Amino acid sequence: MASAAGRRTRRKVGDLVSRWTFLTPATLLLVLVLAYPIMYTIRISVSHLDLRTFAPSEFVGLEYYIEAVQDDRFQNSLLVTGIYLVLALPLQIVLGFGIAYLMNAEWKGRGVVRALFLIPMVVAPVVAGGIWKMMLSPMWGVSNWALSLVGLPAVDWLGDSRLAMISLVMIDTWRWTPFVALIASAALLALPKDIFEAASVDGAGRWQTLKSITLPLLMPMIAATFVVRWLGAVKMFDIALAATGGGPGQATNVVNLYIYEQAFRGLKFPESAAMSMIVLVITMILTAVFLRISRGLETRW
Amino acid sequence: MKHRRSKAAGLGAVATLFALTLTACVPGQSAEEPIEGGGVGTEAEPVEIRMIANEAFANQWQDQMVPEFNKKFPHVKVTIDGVPYTELLAKSMLDATSDDPTYDVIVSDDNWIPQLADVGAVLDLKEEATEWTADDYDWDDFNAAPLAAGEWDGHQYGVPLRSNLLMMYTNKSLYEDAGLEAPTSDITWDEYLDQLPDLVRDTDDDGKPDVFGVDTYFAREPLTPTIWQTILNSNGGQLLTEDGEVAFDNEQGVEALQTHVDLLESAPPGAVSHTYQEPLESFRQGKVASMFTWGSVYKATAVDQDTTTLKPDEVGLQVMPVGSEGPGAHRGIWNGSVASRSEHPEAAWTLLQWLSSTEGEIWQSTELGVFPARKSTLATTPSEEWLVPVFEALQEGFDAAEAGQMWRPRLTNSDAVQQILADETSRATAGEITAEEAIENAAAKVEDELG
Repeated sequence: MASAAGRRTRRKVGDLVSRWTFLTPATLLLVLVLAYPIMYTIRISVSHLDLRTFAPSEFVGLEYYIEAVQDDRFQNSLLVTGIYLVLALPLQIVLGFGIAYLMNAEWKGRGVVRALFLIPMVVAPVVAGGIWKMMLSPMWGVSNWALSLVGLPAVDWLGDSRLAMISLVMIDTWRWTPFVALIASAALLALPKDIFEAASVDGAGRWQTLKSITLPLLMPMIAATFVVRWLGAVKMFDIALAATGGGPGQATNVVNLYIYEQAFRGLKFPESAAMSMIVLVITMILTAVFLRISRGLETRW
Repeated sequence: MKHRRSKAAGLGAVATLFALTLTACVPGQSAEEPIEGGGVGTEAEPVEIRMIANEAFANQWQDQMVPEFNKKFPHVKVTIDGVPYTELLAKSMLDATSDDPTYDVIVSDDNWIPQLADVGAVLDLKEEATEWTADDYDWDDFNAAPLAAGEWDGHQYGVPLRSNLLMMYTNKSLYEDAGLEAPTSDITWDEYLDQLPDLVRDTDDDGKPDVFGVDTYFAREPLTPTIWQTILNSNGGQLLTEDGEVAFDNEQGVEALQTHVDLLESAPPGAVSHTYQEPLESFRQGKVASMFTWGSVYKATAVDQDTTTLKPDEVGLQVMPVGSEGPGAHRGIWNGSVASRSEHPEAAWTLLQWLSSTEGEIWQSTELGVFPARKSTLATTPSEEWLVPVFEALQEGFDAAEAGQMWRPRLTNSDAVQQILADETSRATAGEITAEEAIENAAAKVEDELG
């Protein structure tokens, strides 16, 4: 009896040791690359930073957080980021799943189109921003030339405050819709065929099948894709930097661009650290909300 | 034996003296022989120094300037790291304050010296580098305006390596086509603004203008406010008082910004998002009659046929139009400084002395089109014909910049101030707010920034 209990204990200890043996490297790596920078950011956000030594000095509590919250340019950059996310994310999800649905059907040349479709994903965001800036130039760009072919007037894509945001969304959509389509395509292929066969036998039309079977089955995947894309989109920076520089005025001054300017141009590292922490908290809260909705959708369908 | 030893000692002393003489032979001296020994290395023990500079010219310097420098100082190995402009100051400061700094030479923009000096990143060249300064290194020969860019709080932390001025370019052919006389350096802002509408023309009769009056910085970027700042300076105004108080929150400031905004009426479509590159493209393609940008692009705009459609005789370069107090020319100097914790300060300072000597300046202006800061260099007859009018315009520009104190605020937080100005300027050029509101907002925020 005692030897059986001893064996169980030994097995438990062995199990624990082997688990931690595998976990330790990953945990250490995570602490190094994630926890340490976050802790350091928190530390400098609550201290004065001595630029002579680049080390935090006097503890100032929430002073920089209060400053950040009261900074109207920071508030504006949060608003601009919100507008961008509200416009870009639904558009990319709808387009991505729509395109995947079309790509899923059998048609000639589908493979080539699918391969070409992935090109934007491999273009660096700064390059994408630069190329689009050239294409949208009212003087030299191809976009206004194309509009003129159908008799439409020239448009100042990046010079008009409202259009600049739309342009930014357009560039980001061009870059990221293939990613959404790729995930959506895999999700469509994974759908159980027997349900569709049963629907067909029951005389369901295309629209009915889409509305009552495909979309409900895809909903958890749509929600998960939304969360993944949200986490990517909230980091928007490079495209705005290259295409609009945050302008005209403050129209496309997304929060990451503003924080970058405060840190690396204004050398306001504690202030920008406080802003980063605020953005991190907002992102975490919203991500938790989206994940909860996503889980809700999974159980509903 | 004793006699032989004393003879050997004597020879050694002569050799040492000779070596010391060579070591002291730094730039500007007439010695053609390569210089070695001491802090500038020997064949057996070369010295390696590292420079941090803007990526816009780092490669050019590495490929062309360093080999030229090595003809005279063959044992100083120079490596130049190019960094994007927007990250250069932060990287320079982070490196200079780190435990093990990488860089011996820091190349910084016009308004960064106070920030670098404030963290102790750079040496005072007139006090801490005296022992390595060549006897004939003539500080007084520099034009006052470019030299002042390297000065802060009574100390000289940098020397001008690439002197630049915000100037006015004109396409004489487009002025002639519009039936106007090409501007000269005494044109006033009023006269210039009167001409602009006539320069906007539809040359292919398609009902839309395809040639425009002016292009320059209008977008949200730190150099955009320098345009209206220069107009303000030409009218006798300043951004800040000598005590560091806001001085532009007045009618003069509003008028200067409004003039900048009004330029958009004669600018190409989309100019509100233009920064540095777009005006250059439109000017070089013969699409705009005038442009306000940096003098240093003259060679690539008027001479190098690989980069421009224009010829030197059709491109005018002059100071910006005259205001109530005089012409305008905003200063933009790249300063060279020796990092205070450099392990090879003598070699670093030797490189900077050579580059900022008359010899280095003449080589740079002839080979690279880089502008000099020394009066003696500007007074020489350039070997390239296109440089003759350029040198004249530059000298006039330096005088104007000095007289009107036309440079960005010299503060330890000057970039933060510049960013505030850029934000509000951009909101005005984009039509989001009026010039008056922009000036009011900017003044309040700058006041807040300055505490």
